[in-house]
Amino acid sequence: MRAADASSARNGERLAAGASIAMVGGMSLRSTGFTRNPPIAITAFGREVAAHPGESLAAALVAAEVREFVAVCHMGVCQQCLVRVDGRLVQACLTPVAAGMVVT
Amino acid sequence: MMHDIAILGGGPAGMAAATEAARGGARTVLLEESLAPGGQVYRKPVFDGPDDANRRAGDALRAALAESGAEVITGARVWGLGGGPLVAQGHAPFVVSALGAEVSARALILATGTHERIIPFPGWTLPGVLGLAAATILLKAQGVLPGRRVVVAGQGPLLYAVAAKIIAGGGTVVAIVDAASTGEWARALAGLAARPDVLARGLAWRARILAARVPVFSRASVTEALGEGRINAVRIDGRIIEADALCIGHGLVPATEASRTYRAAHVHDPTLGGWVPVLDAERRTSVPGLYSAGDGSGLRGAAAAPFSGQLAARAALRDLGRVPAGPDPAAFARAARAGAAMAGMMALRPALVAAIPPDTEVCRCEGVTRAAIEDAADAGAGTMNQLKHFTRCGMGPCQGRMCGEAASALLAARRGVPVAAVGFATGRTPLRPVSMDTIIGDFAYADIPVPAPAPL
Repeated sequence: MRAADASSARNGERLAAGASIAMVGGMSLRSTGFTRNPPIAITAFGREVAAHPGESLAAALVAAEVREFVAVCHMGVCQQCLVRVDGRLVQACLTPVAAGMVVT
Repeated sequence: MMHDIAILGGGPAGMAAATEAARGGARTVLLEESLAPGGQVYRKPVFDGPDDANRRAGDALRAALAESGAEVITGARVWGLGGGPLVAQGHAPFVVSALGAEVSARALILATGTHERIIPFPGWTLPGVLGLAAATILLKAQGVLPGRRVVVAGQGPLLYAVAAKIIAGGGTVVAIVDAASTGEWARALAGLAARPDVLARGLAWRARILAARVPVFSRASVTEALGEGRINAVRIDGRIIEADALCIGHGLVPATEASRTYRAAHVHDPTLGGWVPVLDAERRTSVPGLYSAGDGSGLRGAAAAPFSGQLAARAALRDLGRVPAGPDPAAFARAARAGAAMAGMMALRPALVAAIPPDTEVCRCEGVTRAAIEDAADAGAGTMNQLKHFTRCGMGPCQGRMCGEAASALLAARRGVPVAAVGFATGRTPLRPVSMDTIIGDFAYADIPVPAPAPL
């Protein structure tokens, strides 16, 4: 994500539709053929991450290649993706992303 | 408010059961954990994405449910079960407690689906290792690839579904590792003769995989995931292949926590995925008023699930004194035949369990290794409940869902008895981990009723 986009989204604002998101290491892990909502920014383990409203937090963290977390089942069973969102313990796979979320 | 019929789980079986029950005039409520009904195969995508047959089937079930008049509660994390046989005084209504909702009903239909069986191997706890069913959710509902260079491994049709979806989504599958032989597949595919649509879908996956020149290893298994803090390679028998994700699954297991909690009779049937509630032809469990439908009552696939949901709903309607149209068990039997062939490909493979090294964690929540399980077996643990007491295996946040299959197979093998003889962990509330503050709510200590002390 461009630094300017990240800072404008830090307070929970939506990034402009079509805002460019630079990919670390080449291709995106988001597959083609999906019409996504414009991206928002969340903070995960101290780093700005782009996510699209509607996505599960677990999918957004996988797409952003966040290494601090494990998700095994993506359906609410394994409890491996437990993270704190704004201080509260949740399963990332059952939690939709929201602008300004802080994941620790 | 008292409902006539409550349905637990909003997959294809639950959606069809609720639709049928509401159409039959019953006050019906459906509780679903995720944010929309659909289940795993027919999960509602969060974005407009590529059209496919599963999506259309899911939309049709969702539309029928919406028109039926059944109340649908989504985002319902059901943690508590009460009433029914758990109350001493005869036949009480079933009480289902979810975060933010409590439902009472005279009849309860369980349509809780399955979770994935993953037989442990060294490195299976590394980030980047995920289930095959998990991968289908990521790929189809979320449109996210699990990695850039992905190994797809395990057994059953999901292997090829996941590999094809990764390729279609622009990712790279570096290897498919299939525990089954081509001969086993040939025999299983013969069982799909009545379902040319399913066969055609499988052939389309296969064509995509062939076109992408993905190496397929048959009768092979992943023996190790390698990496520091994150997977970076996979060992396949003797060979090492670089990969940043491993999608692996060894079949599906019916989710029977709820029928266990109500103390229904269960039977161990590997051709149905393992432990399943004992059912009559119309999906009644051994507990009056409690029914079970869909893959949670035995693996027969998403196509068969709506028929079993309808059967359960009609039985419930009849038992409540309503007279629905005659049931059609033949429709379920026809749809279940194709599912049975695939369930066979997903049955537990004892050789994979036997290959687990002694120091590999089987229960990843509590860090219980194979060696610890076998030590407990030698020290006298003869059942899954005793194994919990000896080792804490299955007592972590996943409540034994991830480790139960491998642990019971290890325990049974060490004790020299069939898997059925070691039983299963007793079902108990809470069905899901929930924090105390969310279930207690607000109350004043003064409001707690204190019974009068017994006379001395």
